[in-house]
Amino acid sequence: MNIPYNNIRGGLFTYCQTVILFCILLLGINQVNAQQIPVNSIKDERSPIYAFINATLHVDAYTVVENATLLIENEKILDAGKNVKIPNEAIVIDCSGKHILPSFIDAYSTIGMPVGKKTYESRPQYTSSKKGPWYWNETVHPEVHGARLFEFQDESASGLRQKGFGLANVHQRDGIVRGTGAVVALSNHDENKIIVKPYATQHFSFNKGQSRQEYPGSQTGAIALMRQFFYDVEFWKNEKNRKETNLSLEDFLQWEKLPYVLETSDKQEIFRGARIAKEFGFRFVYKAVGNEYQRAADIASLNTTLIIPLTFPQAMDMTNAWDANEASLSDLKHWEMAPLNPSVLKNHQIRFAITSDGCSMPDFFQHMYKACHHGLDSATLLAALTTVPAEILGLSSQAGSLHKNKWANFLITEAYPGHEKFRILENWIMGKQYVTNARTDQTDFTGEYLLQIPELSFFHLKKLVVVGQPQKYQATLHISDSTKIACQIKQEQHLISLHYYAHAMGGFVRISIHKSEKDKWSGLLTNPNGHTYNIWLQQLEVESSQNNIQEKDKPIIGETVYPFRSFGFTATEWKEVENKKSWLITNTTVWTCESTGVLTQADVWIENGKIRKVGRGIKADKDAIIIDGSGLHLTPGLIDEHSHIALSRGVNEAAESSSAEVRMSDVINAEDINIYRQLAGGVTTSQLLHGSANPIGGQSALIKLRWGRSAEQMLFENAPGFIKFALGENVKQSNWGDAYSIRYPQSRMGVEQFYYDMFAQAVEYAKKKEKDRGKNMELEILVEILQSKRFITCHSYVQSEINMLMKVADSLGFKVNTFTHILEGYKVADKMKSHPVNASTFSDWWAYKMEVMDAIPYNASLLTRMGVNTCINSDDAEMARRLNQEAAKAIKYGGLTREEALKLVTINPARMLRIDHKVGSIREGKDADIVIWSDDPLSIYAKPLYTFVDGIQYYSYQRNQELIQRDKKEKNRLIQKMLDAMNNGHQVVPITLKKYWLYDCEDLHADDEELLRIEP
Amino acid sequence: MKKYVCILLFITPILLLAQRPSPGMSQQKSILIKNAIIHDGNRNAFLGSVGFNNGIITYLQNPAMPDYQTPVFDTIIDANGQHLYPGFILLNTTLGLTEVDAVRATRDFSETGEMRSEVRSVIAYNTDSKIIPTVRNNGVLLAQPTPQGGIISGQSGIVQLDAWNWEDAVILIEDGIHLHWPSRIRTYTPWDDEQASYRFQNNRTKNIYQIEKLFLEGYQYHLSKDSKPVNHKLAAMDGLFTGKKNLYLHADSENEIMESVLFFESLHVKNIVLVGASSAYSILSFIKSHNLSVILSRIHALPSHEDHPIHQPYRLPALLDSAGILFSIDYSGDMEAMGSRNLPFTAGTAVAYGLDYEAAVSVLTLQAARIIGIDDKYGSIQPGKSATFFLTAGDALDMSSNLLTKAYIDGRLINLGSHQYDLYKQYLHKYGLKER
Repeated sequence: MNIPYNNIRGGLFTYCQTVILFCILLLGINQVNAQQIPVNSIKDERSPIYAFINATLHVDAYTVVENATLLIENEKILDAGKNVKIPNEAIVIDCSGKHILPSFIDAYSTIGMPVGKKTYESRPQYTSSKKGPWYWNETVHPEVHGARLFEFQDESASGLRQKGFGLANVHQRDGIVRGTGAVVALSNHDENKIIVKPYATQHFSFNKGQSRQEYPGSQTGAIALMRQFFYDVEFWKNEKNRKETNLSLEDFLQWEKLPYVLETSDKQEIFRGARIAKEFGFRFVYKAVGNEYQRAADIASLNTTLIIPLTFPQAMDMTNAWDANEASLSDLKHWEMAPLNPSVLKNHQIRFAITSDGCSMPDFFQHMYKACHHGLDSATLLAALTTVPAEILGLSSQAGSLHKNKWANFLITEAYPGHEKFRILENWIMGKQYVTNARTDQTDFTGEYLLQIPELSFFHLKKLVVVGQPQKYQATLHISDSTKIACQIKQEQHLISLHYYAHAMGGFVRISIHKSEKDKWSGLLTNPNGHTYNIWLQQLEVESSQNNIQEKDKPIIGETVYPFRSFGFTATEWKEVENKKSWLITNTTVWTCESTGVLTQADVWIENGKIRKVGRGIKADKDAIIIDGSGLHLTPGLIDEHSHIALSRGVNEAAESSSAEVRMSDVINAEDINIYRQLAGGVTTSQLLHGSANPIGGQSALIKLRWGRSAEQMLFENAPGFIKFALGENVKQSNWGDAYSIRYPQSRMGVEQFYYDMFAQAVEYAKKKEKDRGKNMELEILVEILQSKRFITCHSYVQSEINMLMKVADSLGFKVNTFTHILEGYKVADKMKSHPVNASTFSDWWAYKMEVMDAIPYNASLLTRMGVNTCINSDDAEMARRLNQEAAKAIKYGGLTREEALKLVTINPARMLRIDHKVGSIREGKDADIVIWSDDPLSIYAKPLYTFVDGIQYYSYQRNQELIQRDKKEKNRLIQKMLDAMNNGHQVVPITLKKYWLYDCEDLHADDEELLRIEP
Repeated sequence: MKKYVCILLFITPILLLAQRPSPGMSQQKSILIKNAIIHDGNRNAFLGSVGFNNGIITYLQNPAMPDYQTPVFDTIIDANGQHLYPGFILLNTTLGLTEVDAVRATRDFSETGEMRSEVRSVIAYNTDSKIIPTVRNNGVLLAQPTPQGGIISGQSGIVQLDAWNWEDAVILIEDGIHLHWPSRIRTYTPWDDEQASYRFQNNRTKNIYQIEKLFLEGYQYHLSKDSKPVNHKLAAMDGLFTGKKNLYLHADSENEIMESVLFFESLHVKNIVLVGASSAYSILSFIKSHNLSVILSRIHALPSHEDHPIHQPYRLPALLDSAGILFSIDYSGDMEAMGSRNLPFTAGTAVAYGLDYEAAVSVLTLQAARIIGIDDKYGSIQPGKSATFFLTAGDALDMSSNLLTKAYIDGRLINLGSHQYDLYKQYLHKYGLKER
């Protein structure tokens, strides 16, 4: 009969089982060692036995027994089910018409935890302010334990109890490595008793919280720090002869086997977490945010567990038509689709628990109903609130279901979770009763009643209609079909009192009734004169139209688009785009960017992602879709050597002078609208660089602009590794304000010595064996540079520093690969040529700071003519849409030929990125990254009509027009729907807009978006 | 094209390693430029001749005119089919008010306080800025240096870009007052308390009330200024009520535009010019019926909203033009002063996205002149107007052919050298390269 929820997946639970064992052991100790706490009274220990009979018993999420009995003694379940023998002495409680289900378990809570405050000081703090033998970074504190900080607060516990929770896993929500969580029972015993599992989980996040230490100042830094921590743990674990004390690492190792919970702030962070987990061979349980349905398939492939909140956004105030347009389509769609999140996850077979975090009452129950209304079944809902969190916390044998010998944690409810009328009457926690709503026999008084007053026969026709919910009934008395009087109504336990103003009699009539038999109520009516009469109320059968309503109310929901925003593709649109694999562009002007130059009246055949043939009169196969290229121009996809689009939460890990350990590939934001905008400008490949805030920056990510794909799918396959370096004003913090004047280096002199020092450390590091030194992610990267396995792109302006870095490199036996910006490159073009090094420059920027006062727009042409491989980059989300125009400026300034100019944004950057064997020119066998232009690509009048990446037409001018119309229509539909919600009494909030930061090199912001609100 | 580059070489024979090239000498001899494709700024283009004397255009010949009556000129220049445009006008700019953006000491475009109607930009306009020649060399010959910041930033003026000092440069010392309408949009932070929204609205209401008070009292001062003690803040506003000065109203969203325009109309302001106005396209009839002119912000911009059509900023000029609205475009935003040499190309982009070519020229010339009220003297090639124009090898709105061979302001021949060009020449020489 009892089918245990047996959907355990994932490696997590291989050690979860160990944890369970361990936990049982621990509890055992707890019981044995229970201290005698003196009480200031006479001893009052009881062992009552309760029997709850006639209930609809949800033994677990998937097992429901009608007319069942639950038998408990103290905090234990003695028996549960159909044929339970009830001892004579048991207190029997009739629960007919009621549901009994396991109390909920909140796997993610912070109740009873101290809330710290971040302090502010004007000077930056570079080292940890926490004294003692701890981890070097303040935001890594595995030594913080929820069990040691927990203080019972009945107020917050009561809040959770009312939502139906019996257990909560609490931890301090602060830092990147946060420490452990403890499972507490929400009953008001003392802490010794209610902490039922002191060490249940390990907690992590990418948010440094209260730490004032500068590092990490970005998400890429946070990820690097977390990885370095895990490397340190590995080293510490295997190191037999420890030469120092580190209590943080020791503490972590003690609880290493607990499940790891990572708090995310967006669905994309789940993939970032998964990348770390994969590297170190564990799995995270993710505390999610509620938008995971937007990437459900990718999340499903991770085979992981989520803890999701039931927070659904509120409707926005759409009354002002102009303001309404400011709301973003993604926000509007999320408003509509957020309630789908649980059911979508379920359909993708993603295991999830539900937390009440961020969701107060009565929203929590309403949202359960909403989720079920949007396709979630109540069994999965109940599992997400009981068995799944119990499994995550390793408490399956004690909690989460109502089997024999488990804890007596259960709810007595009306209806079942997810039902519209779901209501908790009592919440029993560890055998202790908490009344949320008086159980009594209070029946639902809603319905229609016929009033009968035997002494007053004319009263017969009157009808009472009661709607709403207990405590919030609304009653109307129908005197005739047209005359209705509102009544005040109140229910107290078994008694119903109501009164109304009777016009005819000029006073108030009062009725007091109680239930007498099935469907019948009886009592007294008192008229304004004080005369009383016997009254009978007979409940009328109301035809149930429930099913019809539900059918009608089935929500109409828009489609998910990838990415989840305007200009995203639906699954169908995707298929259509993806399935077109063979194209023939005929009779066009082909700018090959090869020695073949510009071909006229030529054909290009692309197939399966590659350029198949280039020439005149090509015969492609039958399936090839033909684009008539006459009058049009075809070029390779443009390559932006220096870009900062599509990055999340910070482009600079600026805290320390070297941040070689950070990887931009960790924080790719695959949903940045600028990806699409730049595709529309003909860009197909971008190098996403770390900023220029420190001499040694982070590792670059090379992506293809595969709009709609995930971050991982955007990465350029087998691209060589690059790293950003920087020189000059930025790295010496010249324009950071007076507080920032203590970090070494503060002068160009210091920059040189900093490099020598770092590389010297790397040389020393490389000499030692790994088992003797552990892994230092930062130095490892510098070693790669020394071995010419990783290449430098160095932000640079003035000639002295350009010269300096080349000399540093020469002395250490490697070459600088690229100087980027390099606005004074023209002054040392001959030296650059002989190094040799590539140049990646702006067309005409200057005069924005002192070090660019000698910048000239002739730079690109001078360098090119001196034989330095040169490209034009953007460093700017707007300019990248017009890279062709920026290249064309080299014709104006310095007289490059048109072909030379185009190469500045195609084959030249491909060469300096060491990917010229794949992209950058039109040659058979290369990747089909192609742009078709309306005009000469170097003309201001040229518009990209089609952009192909890997032979897939990710952008077309025509389709773009269609998408604009599609999105407009969808937005309008959603605005109408919100107005409808508003008119139906839903609360609305002011319109919130998102403003996205557009990063450039110097940006020190760690947030990529800013929320704005319209406040008319 | 080489030919024109040679001309370029020829006219900058002396490499003066000074701060900036010397301003041109005033016109001594009458000049006729013939065989030029003339874009007259008034939406016409034709092959013809322009004659000018004492800084004024005295003669214009177009194909419709018989040319048997060509007057006598001291100098005749054969343009050989080069393009001739009226000098482009750069509106709403910090050019000349800043030199190195990162260096505070060189920034002179923002005063303290919220209501600064009294300050005027022209007296801070630095004619010796190294940036100015680089802008001029792409065809921008007139500009409107404009204060920034605050609610009322101050007064802009109009200058020509080849002068020894600001007094020489000035065309209009004060042409209008710039006002930034308080935004309806609040930055929303996670640590906002419940009062944040209230405070924002309260502050906004207070600011609007302050503006109203200033304008009401300014109008009263205007009516009775002879009897009142001098007040420079209010005196500066006088022209707004007579129509001598424009109110440059910086506002972007539809609601802000409509709200503020109705507000100032009721406060006796005669001429309102909208600045920014990125949402103007959706309330064209409002703008038209209220007879507003518009200065659109830089066309080379990202859409202001993630959902907007990706080419929205590029298409704005065409939309305004087809609605018959008087408008121009500026180059405000990041890298404003030094980047403004790209102003002509932004107009080129507008052409790519639907604006008529000659209309685009007009946007940068006659339409701009009309908005700022100097169209009696500048903005088009027309006898009686100032000889302020330039010749290029090709299309001035396209970067690869925007190669100036000659430029005149008030008939004075401009030196097309620059600090940047000097450096270029030095390093060509160092590397033994020839100029292409």
